[in-house]
Amino acid sequence: MGEKVARLMRRGAITCRAEASIRDVAQIMAVNSAHYCVVINNQHEVLGIISSRSILKAFGRDLDQTMAKDILLPYTFTITPNDPIEVAIHLMNRRKIEHVVVTMGLTGNRTVFGMLHAEDIVDKMTQN
Amino acid sequence: MRVCELMDRNVIVCDLNDSVKDVIRMMKANKFCPIVVVDQTGEVWGLISRLAVIRLCGKDLSQISAEDVMRPYKFEVDPQWPVERAIELMKRTRFEHLIIIDPHAGPKRPIGILSSFNVVWYMSHIEMGHYESILKMPEGWCPSMA
Repeated sequence: MGEKVARLMRRGAITCRAEASIRDVAQIMAVNSAHYCVVINNQHEVLGIISSRSILKAFGRDLDQTMAKDILLPYTFTITPNDPIEVAIHLMNRRKIEHVVVTMGLTGNRTVFGMLHAEDIVDKMTQN
Repeated sequence: MRVCELMDRNVIVCDLNDSVKDVIRMMKANKFCPIVVVDQTGEVWGLISRLAVIRLCGKDLSQISAEDVMRPYKFEVDPQWPVERAIELMKRTRFEHLIIIDPHAGPKRPIGILSSFNVVWYMSHIEMGHYESILKMPEGWCPSMA
């Protein structure tokens, strides 16, 4: 494809705190029609991501007592706007995720810059 | 709550022999929903997700058939099932989308899709169609105050 992440990503993200209950996270996702929620700390740095699948897996647990930090998929990788799309696709397939957090990646800064979604990649695939 | 009360009734289907290029067109025209693969009799064979499609990035999409990329689907989920039963099946099988089958139409005819996002709605306990009230701003609020 030869594109950079910056060309397909969307600025901004739906976020929640690590201490938010699963019920709150589900409500945030539902009212925003978002299939993900990025979990951040007090410095607005990414801790991980919660997808619809993460919420599904939490079914049966106490939704008001279980917190976002208990079910998040830890953010152990860094995708920056300058990375090739292929890197993000590889990551999505390896981790089975449809949404990737994009950070600036400069000097270890993990502040959320935007999101890259699988649907935006699918959209681009037939434009070539 | 029953599955039929929560599922999406808009099922987009393609034929086993359709190319992935056609499948992507269908996805784009339908808010990037997953595509159900059926045979000529309309019986469900599999499901194509967005992740399955992006794996093919860089390949000749017109030469790859839907059958080559679909995930085979062998379950029969009845629309009258309790939602909890369907959620347990999703957890056990790691399917993010369940195809709901019409129990009265003979061999595996799809009538709806239950997605993990539908489950998020269910678990959020927000009544369908009433979420606007949550977003309602206090009286006298205007954008310049934000």
